[in-house]
Amino acid sequence: MTGAPDVRGSGPAAGEQLQQQHVSCQVFPKRLAQGNPQQGFLSSFFTSNQKCQLRLLRTLETNPYVKLLLDAMKHSGCAVNKDRHFSCEDCNGNVSGGFDASTSQIVLCQNNIRNQAHMNRVVTHELIHAFDHCRAHVDWFTNLRHLACSEVRAANLSGDCSLVNEIFRFHFGLKQHHQTCVRDRATLSILAVRNISKEVAKNAVDEVFESCFNDYEPFGRIPHNKTYARYAHRDFQNRDRYYSNI
Amino acid sequence: RLCLLICQLNTRVAFFIVHWLADWGRAWRAGRPDMADCSHWQPPRPCEAYRAEWKLCRSARHFLHHYYVHGERPACEQWRRDLASCRDWEERRSAEAQRSLCESERARVQAARKHILVWALRQSPPADWHLPLPQEKDE
Repeated sequence: MTGAPDVRGSGPAAGEQLQQQHVSCQVFPKRLAQGNPQQGFLSSFFTSNQKCQLRLLRTLETNPYVKLLLDAMKHSGCAVNKDRHFSCEDCNGNVSGGFDASTSQIVLCQNNIRNQAHMNRVVTHELIHAFDHCRAHVDWFTNLRHLACSEVRAANLSGDCSLVNEIFRFHFGLKQHHQTCVRDRATLSILAVRNISKEVAKNAVDEVFESCFNDYEPFGRIPHNKTYARYAHRDFQNRDRYYSNI
Repeated sequence: RLCLLICQLNTRVAFFIVHWLADWGRAWRAGRPDMADCSHWQPPRPCEAYRAEWKLCRSARHFLHHYYVHGERPACEQWRRDLASCRDWEERRSAEAQRSLCESERARVQAARKHILVWALRQSPPADWHLPLPQEKDE
């Protein structure tokens, strides 16, 4: 996570790795609280929590990116349960969400998610991390290349770096600008959860970029919009016929 | 009785010839593992899917997306060829169409898998994925 808007990434759970704690605890203060990290009913954040829950429900039920990811995770043995694997919490800074690998939970920053479209992107981004956690031995805490790879994939496949989103950020560019955006946002996401220099983070992204940028699982393509995501979902559902006839 | 004997003999000869031909056919197909059994093979995707992919590939929006990501124009000719092969197979059960489609889709799979993975894939999901959260366990 970084202080920049719309940036999110994966973070270790409370107390997991002392050298990481001072970064993540600043972003997810509730994750370090003793006892119950969930919002209480009488909390002053009830309204934002309720909005977060409703938006999350709508995303899980209607968004084609998310529906494909949920199917793919179920196929890999990680069926997602909304109440177990998602948590709406207040976060510090401008962070939108994160994936806590130590508890297998996606954190949604209810005070920073602005609207339904934003929720869709955040959930897609974090589910890509969760999918990577499910299908591969990702060492989130001690292997910077693994973290970099998942951040490259999440920035590439979630719609974070779409032309429209970049224009709204006043980042103008056309030819291959998508790749520039993915590199930059992956670097920022790493810096949000690791106390390392920008140079080290950038080098990690550069090392893994070629491999991870071209890893389109489970989409099979870069889903530029919902049409591509629907086609990808159709292909995923058709995979048995596909692989038995080539 | 003679007629009955001749009929039985013919039936047995007929059975022998049929089974011999079936065995020969199976041996022939076994020697050609790249060719699936025609009676069970179907195109990897429905023809409508090839048409939709070709149409999407040729759209102005896709040109923009592809240029934005890769810095070059997209190549759509292979989708058109695959659509033609699919229709050819549906109409005439053409062996050439089947071969062409299989080759094309295998090339797509190879292209998708050519990058070396950064991490090792799991054989089974994480053991703690479905476990209750730590505070729920304490309760």
